[in-house]
Amino acid sequence: MTDLDTQSEPKRYWRSLDELAEKPAFRDWMSREFPAAGSELPDSVSRRRWMQLMGASLAFGGMVGCRWEVEEFAPFTVRPQNRTPGEKQYFSSTWELAGTGRALTVTSIDGRPIKVDGNQQHPFTNGGSDAFDQASILALYDPDRSDGLFERPGKESIRRTWEEFDDALQSRIALHDKSRGRGLAFVCGASSSLTRKRLQQLIAARFPAMVWCEHEQSITRFEAEGSRMAFGESVRTHLDFRKAKVIACFDADPMGAHPAAMQMVRDWADRRDPDANWMNRLYAFESGMSLTGSNADHRLAMRSGDIPAFVARLETEVTAAIKSGKIVERASADAEKMPRVLAALVSDLVQHRGESVLMVGPNQPAEVHARIQRLNAMLGNVGATVTHTIDPIDSDIAVTAFPDLVQQMEAGQIETLVVLESNPAYGSPLSQRFATALKQIAFSVHAGVYRDETSKCCQWHVPAAHFLEAWGDCRTWDGTATIAQPLIAPLFGGRTTTELLSLFTRTGLTSSEQLVRRAFLSWSSETMKPPREAVRLKSESEWRKAVHDGFVEESDFAARDVTLESDLDERLPVGKLTKTEQSLSANEIELVINTDASVHDGRFSNNGWLQEVPDPMTKLTWDNAAIMGPSTAKRLGVSHEDVVQISVNQTTVSLPVFVLPGIALNSVQLALGYGRTSAGHVGGSVADDVNPVGVDVSPLLQDETGIIREAVTITPTGKQHKLATTQDHFAIDAVGFEAIGNRLGELVRTGTLKEYEEHPDFAAHRGPHHPPLESPWEEQQYDGHAWGMAIDLNRCIGCNACTVACQSENNVPIVGQDQVLAGREMSWLRIDRYFAGDPEDPEVAHQPVACHHCENAPCEQVCPVAATVHSDEGLNDMVYNRCVGTRYCANNCPYKVRRFNFFDYNASLAKPENALQKMILNPDVTVRSRGVMEKCTYCVQRIQDTKIDAKNNRRSIEDGEIVTACQQACPAKAIVFGDLNDKNSAVAKAHDDDRSYGMLSELNTKPRTKYLARIRNPHPWLAEEGV
Amino acid sequence: MNDFQFPTWVNRLARCLLIGTPIVIGYGAIVLMAGIAPETTHIGYAPEQPVPFSHKLHAGQLKMDCRYCHNTVEETAHAAIPPTQTCINCHSPADGNGGVALTAVHAGSSKLSEIHKSWANDTPVRWKRVHDLPDFVKFNHSAHVTRGVSCVSCHGRIDQTDVVSQVKTLSMATCLECHRNPTPHLRPSETVTNMEWVPPKPASEIGEIVKDHWNIKANQNCSTCHY
Repeated sequence: MTDLDTQSEPKRYWRSLDELAEKPAFRDWMSREFPAAGSELPDSVSRRRWMQLMGASLAFGGMVGCRWEVEEFAPFTVRPQNRTPGEKQYFSSTWELAGTGRALTVTSIDGRPIKVDGNQQHPFTNGGSDAFDQASILALYDPDRSDGLFERPGKESIRRTWEEFDDALQSRIALHDKSRGRGLAFVCGASSSLTRKRLQQLIAARFPAMVWCEHEQSITRFEAEGSRMAFGESVRTHLDFRKAKVIACFDADPMGAHPAAMQMVRDWADRRDPDANWMNRLYAFESGMSLTGSNADHRLAMRSGDIPAFVARLETEVTAAIKSGKIVERASADAEKMPRVLAALVSDLVQHRGESVLMVGPNQPAEVHARIQRLNAMLGNVGATVTHTIDPIDSDIAVTAFPDLVQQMEAGQIETLVVLESNPAYGSPLSQRFATALKQIAFSVHAGVYRDETSKCCQWHVPAAHFLEAWGDCRTWDGTATIAQPLIAPLFGGRTTTELLSLFTRTGLTSSEQLVRRAFLSWSSETMKPPREAVRLKSESEWRKAVHDGFVEESDFAARDVTLESDLDERLPVGKLTKTEQSLSANEIELVINTDASVHDGRFSNNGWLQEVPDPMTKLTWDNAAIMGPSTAKRLGVSHEDVVQISVNQTTVSLPVFVLPGIALNSVQLALGYGRTSAGHVGGSVADDVNPVGVDVSPLLQDETGIIREAVTITPTGKQHKLATTQDHFAIDAVGFEAIGNRLGELVRTGTLKEYEEHPDFAAHRGPHHPPLESPWEEQQYDGHAWGMAIDLNRCIGCNACTVACQSENNVPIVGQDQVLAGREMSWLRIDRYFAGDPEDPEVAHQPVACHHCENAPCEQVCPVAATVHSDEGLNDMVYNRCVGTRYCANNCPYKVRRFNFFDYNASLAKPENALQKMILNPDVTVRSRGVMEKCTYCVQRIQDTKIDAKNNRRSIEDGEIVTACQQACPAKAIVFGDLNDKNSAVAKAHDDDRSYGMLSELNTKPRTKYLARIRNPHPWLAEEGV
Repeated sequence: MNDFQFPTWVNRLARCLLIGTPIVIGYGAIVLMAGIAPETTHIGYAPEQPVPFSHKLHAGQLKMDCRYCHNTVEETAHAAIPPTQTCINCHSPADGNGGVALTAVHAGSSKLSEIHKSWANDTPVRWKRVHDLPDFVKFNHSAHVTRGVSCVSCHGRIDQTDVVSQVKTLSMATCLECHRNPTPHLRPSETVTNMEWVPPKPASEIGEIVKDHWNIKANQNCSTCHY
């Protein structure tokens, strides 16, 4: 064996710039398990409020006394078929986010949905889900939901009934019948629903002069325009990461913000197997730090405004290389990183013609989209890795752009405005104008799940049904039609968007079930022309199958052959920039505004799970910030947590600075979706005296692009704002590396493909050398099952789906911003994000960490009351009813995965007025009280259920039958779980893999969770040069 | 003057201790007695139910199998309280004209009025829960019943009681007693609902056979019941 010491030195990984600089603040975080002493009350909970809380729980205790509450059974009169009290049922469903459908399987217990997961059978999404899917169920039981109809004839709003609303609306509609719909306008979000398309056609037939506006801040027009420029028609571009050997992303985030992210993540991860014939190579060129960039083999930080110039240069070089047919030469070793990465990319692209993918983000101008389409065509990718279909957003019916609608409203041309599950009064640069004009409109209706900013400006508000309460349909990115069935009757009597639209048709109010059925079953019987690529079901049995499966088989869009416009090269010469593509001068600051990984465009503002889930890169919770690189901050004279004033054309917003490594110089990243004034008690509600979370940056937006390049000024205000970031929380002590004499191995282990090929077991050798470890205790033997987990860091992209899934499955409470600041977030599964190398251009690693279920668990050895003990299947059991809250276990846990209930975070659930919130809880998992420690259980409730069921039916448990919540949610399939004693199980094989290593296993903890080292696949030129 | 002198407050402390100690001991005794009193352990807890349903009549005299009503007991965690329909199978009410189906038993009985009301209005009969474990304990009926643990083991001779009451403490000790040594409580699956079953051989011998047959490992892990 060759000497392993000749390999590259282990990298030093760090979590934050504070850690890199070894600031005292970081040391303080690391040295104490719970940085603020448990007895200290947080500032936000005043002594008085605290006493109230205590008084309430004491009163409750006294009232109950020795005899606990008498529970009542309320059995059905006739028990429905297939329904067993207390047993789980699974139903297919679907919902859509900004016009793209997501296929779901929803778990329901005793008639109430409790958990959302991806639909495993769905041909496109294959069971993947993301944090939004996982958290979508929380809105169903949100106490801030709109609970009725309201009319605001004067200043006060009055409760109304549906009958009163229907009467008012019908008399209004009658007026428009005479004017053929003149003055009637609809505003709604983008949707792929065939049901809605059909209703839209019916309404357009009845009111030809009506205005239909689809407002979606997160969708830009550039992609469509770019494809029109390149091909002469608007098409949707589909990228096949399964076939792509080289992937280059220009300001694009296929793993995060892209509507087809789930599928692309899965395909990308499937091609990251270092033992397979080939592994893909991912290049990312971006200004911010996206999930894609953090997982790229090569990432180049550049301002978004410089991307067009870079693409043009790439285009020139690729064209030249293809024309000359010569081998691409490598850039000189003393050149800057950019030309060297560019040369490597060009050589890769030219070598992998028909096997590469280039993609560009939605904020880039149409010209760049056209150039990328042309490059893909030139490289032979079109038809191979890049396919095109119709663009379903490109509607058959004329759609008015939002700015035009606002103008018409201001000009007094709109008399009746119907806003359907959209909130244009927030989150757009035109919001203010829209809201003002809206108040002048003679008859305005808002339908929504919440009474949001728009609702406050409308005369009527009607409650909308949550997607789990009604029938619906939509299409996933590939076009597969998916169908939603209701799992619960509308809790507040809400109606769906489609039901409300049916009021405007000649048939009048129709149930959502009838509407969806008609959209799928009876297009042919109607005189109307069906939309392009409509889906038709021929019989009732096909319909039933589609409802059961949640999708219609083979209903994806047909591929569409496209050819480049013949005059494209004249209109858009290769390598020559148009006016909109010009770069800015090197010193100018650009702002880049994108949707947020937690709250999207603000629609999830009132979702506590999403507010508290740390951002994948900044690990920021409950806030947004001006994210910039260290050099930019230095140039501007600001530092982390300084509040700055950002001005563009007299519009000013103030928000704190977050200094994040890897952001392009002179680029400042901002997130939409914050600063909501009418979201609710979580996201902010001025009327209820709840401060908005974060700052709304949408007023800075201009035109449609999120890249603002002109006249940006950033000035410090001298104020400070504490940011609740979890990046240094639960940091594992590896700082004192040298001092401890390298006794500790690396927590995250990564290597290059070359290293792996030379030393497949390099990861195991990254740990320290030590004599054989012996336990001072007699070690337990495991004869039956031995549960274990393996997390493949090569697949994990750090997306948070697992974190939210765990929260949902295990009744993990949210604690709020102040508690997060105190380091008391409760999430059982955290994703550690590490940086390595140059702070301006770091390498990133993501690592999910939950309880490792150590066989020699340090926590068990210090518990004075045996509240955490080992099961004979190797689970580290946490016994809530025994725990007295000494917190010794958490202090002794080297992985820092134990969470303590400093307060009774669930106290409010016991109150009768919060019965709605209580419905979200998983009855299979105990709700923990104050003073109790908790942590990951490997989803023991699922293990026990499966074990009992298997034995009842006298069968053995199959490998893969027990799926933990995190594993189920993971779109990349990075997590495997199973029985280590079954040598053929996936998890046993993963543990035996060359890449596997145990975190801190040199402490002889014998963790049951093992990691598979991450293998990067850099271009050989760049790997040699260490770029 | 270096001699140590007890400060004066020690006198007060001694007096306090003299009075305090019996109080503390007495308090402890009361707490202990309260803790083991049947009222606390719920033994004999027999709330009045909305319908005076008699297990003695149905399961005892009429020899109806437990699973006729509690039909989910072999498959799921709960031995679910039957829907009203199950009662109506035998006790269908008189129709609008006072006509009574031939199979209807006691169609006019006032004791059945709650059942008939539920049937007519499609509202549940609100039974009071007798056997109520704390929420941090998970008990699964199917795991026990299919392995040969009889209903009698926890619910006693329910076929001899008119009003359901709790007969075992259902404390952790009760559970562990059996989990530590399950054999005396195991019997062939087909006799699980037979209240009068007497083992033909010593119970532990039969239990041993059942244990082998089902490969029963009565776990004593915390996470067997607590999660």
